[in-house]
Amino acid sequence: MTKKKYSVYILGTLQLGIGFGIVTLLSRWVTGNTILSSPEALIKYGILGGLGYSLMGAFAFILFGFIATYIRKRYPMHQTIGDLLKEKTNPVGYWYTILLLLFTGMDSMFVQATGAAILFSLIFPVPLYISLFFFFSFCFIIAGLGGMQRIHQFAGISITFIFAAVILIPVYFYIQNGVYPVYEGVQLYHPYLLFWKNIDTFYFVITGIIIGFGQVLIDRATWQRVYMLKQSRIRTIFTLTGLIWATIPLSLSSLLLVVVYSGSFHDVKILLFQLVYNINSTLLIAIFLLFCFSAISSTLNAELHATTVFTVKNAISELIPLSDQNKWHLSYWITGMQCLFLYLVVIIISPTFIELLFFFGSIYAALISPILWMIFSRDRLSSFVPSTSAIAIFLSILSSSSTGHLGAIWVSFITSTSLCACFMLFRFLSIFREEKRKRLL
Amino acid sequence: MLQIEDFSLYVMFCVLAPLVGAFTLLFLFIFEKRIDLLENQANKLVLEKELQQAKYFQLNQQIQPHFFFNTLNSILSLARLNRMGELIRAIEVFSKFLKVKYKSNQSICTVAEELEYSSYYLEIQKIRFQSRLTYTIAMEEQVKQVAILPFLIQTLVENAFKHSFEKYPGKAQLNITLTLSNSHVLLTVWNSSEGVHLNNYQDARGHGLTNIKRRLQHMYAEEEASFQLIHEHGGTRAVVSWPVSYPTNLKKEAKQNEHYISR
Repeated sequence: MTKKKYSVYILGTLQLGIGFGIVTLLSRWVTGNTILSSPEALIKYGILGGLGYSLMGAFAFILFGFIATYIRKRYPMHQTIGDLLKEKTNPVGYWYTILLLLFTGMDSMFVQATGAAILFSLIFPVPLYISLFFFFSFCFIIAGLGGMQRIHQFAGISITFIFAAVILIPVYFYIQNGVYPVYEGVQLYHPYLLFWKNIDTFYFVITGIIIGFGQVLIDRATWQRVYMLKQSRIRTIFTLTGLIWATIPLSLSSLLLVVVYSGSFHDVKILLFQLVYNINSTLLIAIFLLFCFSAISSTLNAELHATTVFTVKNAISELIPLSDQNKWHLSYWITGMQCLFLYLVVIIISPTFIELLFFFGSIYAALISPILWMIFSRDRLSSFVPSTSAIAIFLSILSSSSTGHLGAIWVSFITSTSLCACFMLFRFLSIFREEKRKRLL
Repeated sequence: MLQIEDFSLYVMFCVLAPLVGAFTLLFLFIFEKRIDLLENQANKLVLEKELQQAKYFQLNQQIQPHFFFNTLNSILSLARLNRMGELIRAIEVFSKFLKVKYKSNQSICTVAEELEYSSYYLEIQKIRFQSRLTYTIAMEEQVKQVAILPFLIQTLVENAFKHSFEKYPGKAQLNITLTLSNSHVLLTVWNSSEGVHLNNYQDARGHGLTNIKRRLQHMYAEEEASFQLIHEHGGTRAVVSWPVSYPTNLKKEAKQNEHYISR
């Protein structure tokens, strides 16, 4: 395999074992969302919300591990989720799903970029457009020019910083100050956080599992990684990734308590970043900032790379025949344009994260059944199967005002699943009738 | 509302969880290669076992045409000599032999079953050799149910005929002895071999005896089973020794191996 081959850009050159497999998945999945949404989960649903957020991720990975093993066995020649779509859908369904996946990819990158913007605005005394310019330049060099090999090299460093922060900071703080003052403070300022008999939390966790599973199932970067892992180890890697990943939101929950115990707060979004002001040690502050930077940049790199590959291999190559060299060059351009787009958008818009997560949660939930059907079916499917997700998303948006964010996700999931089930039944019946007619003739 | 004790536990869990996660990851990085190596070795062993089993069955199959050919030749000789009564008896015995032989395709049988096969063969040969052939079978009662490789006695008996009795005139004496000694079975097949040139004898025995040696190696550990061919004045003694086991145990072991392989 030479460096000229585009498959090197997509998957790198190595098959990853358990250790490196977990590292590459963790670097993709310890994200800006984890840093920004897990505090929101804690604030909205109390202490069980923090635990629930961890459970969501763990279950999602473990569930996907079973499917990933099947994907690798059944489609050994594929490289991306787009390859599956090409095999299993007709043109209308294919382009619809490609656009939907690109849309979710842009959302994911947007969340990372916003996380970076918040981080830099808090720590660097320079205008945001300057710090973000350097950040996106860094991402372009790693993900755009470096490809999968550079991302993989960078993943190890990211995970080191992530674990250094989530282990050292809570240990340092709770050993220095003890648990009691934190408990007293939380009881005084935010007593609802300690209230754990909350049915809503269980509802949140179960809904979260659906979102998490849907997110992993349609994640382009994760699909690429499925093809980088040693086949016999895939299930073990995903299970262990789930369990290890779950420890990080847990640690972030304990860190958040360190931030909120001393008083009230006005913005959940920047809550965790305020940890900088609560830690006295310069070394720990540096580690925390590196943790945030690593988590955000490694995810953004993975997303940039996956979206680039997806666009080049599964969208542009379908329209214009491209040589491997053209694909490499085009990848540089597309990564650059994505970085520029994100750079401009992030400076202008600033959404609330958990709401964003749940809005896109509807899309993830709507896609679960159609994608699962595509994976497990043996034939090319009708456009109706992917389009069930469009109906589901539309209905969930309509119902969100009456059902709430969580309810809308269930509406989305149930709609697409029911439509798929009805279509499957209809298909079986028509095959049965056809067989019967043939027998009579 | 959470109490301070529960809250402490919660915090402890939150603080320790990433530590456990990091240690797991570190452990995997340090020991993954060793685990892979051990797994590869285990796989290699399983494959070797599988290969040996395949070879064993293949060798087992190789013996059959060897025997059939010789037996058919004996029957053909009787037919040519027009000894109808003996021919009928020979065919009857041979038919019985085949019936037993094709009843099952076991990789292990009991000494009693194996002697039954051999006695049919000897009966065929007795018809052919008449008074020239005398044979004895001496066996301890407890040896009867001990496991033995199929066709082990048969091959030795057959070789005695093929390389000694059929080639050289004179008295044909065959003694089969089975005894137990130190948790091993000791099988001795002695045949008279007057006038046989020892070197030729050894060379000619080749195929069947090599099979016995290889099958013993496959089935038992190297130091546990042995095979010796001793040429002595007036005869040749084949001595085979192997550990005492019973077919049911061996079947269980074989099943366990199969289970291990399938895993």
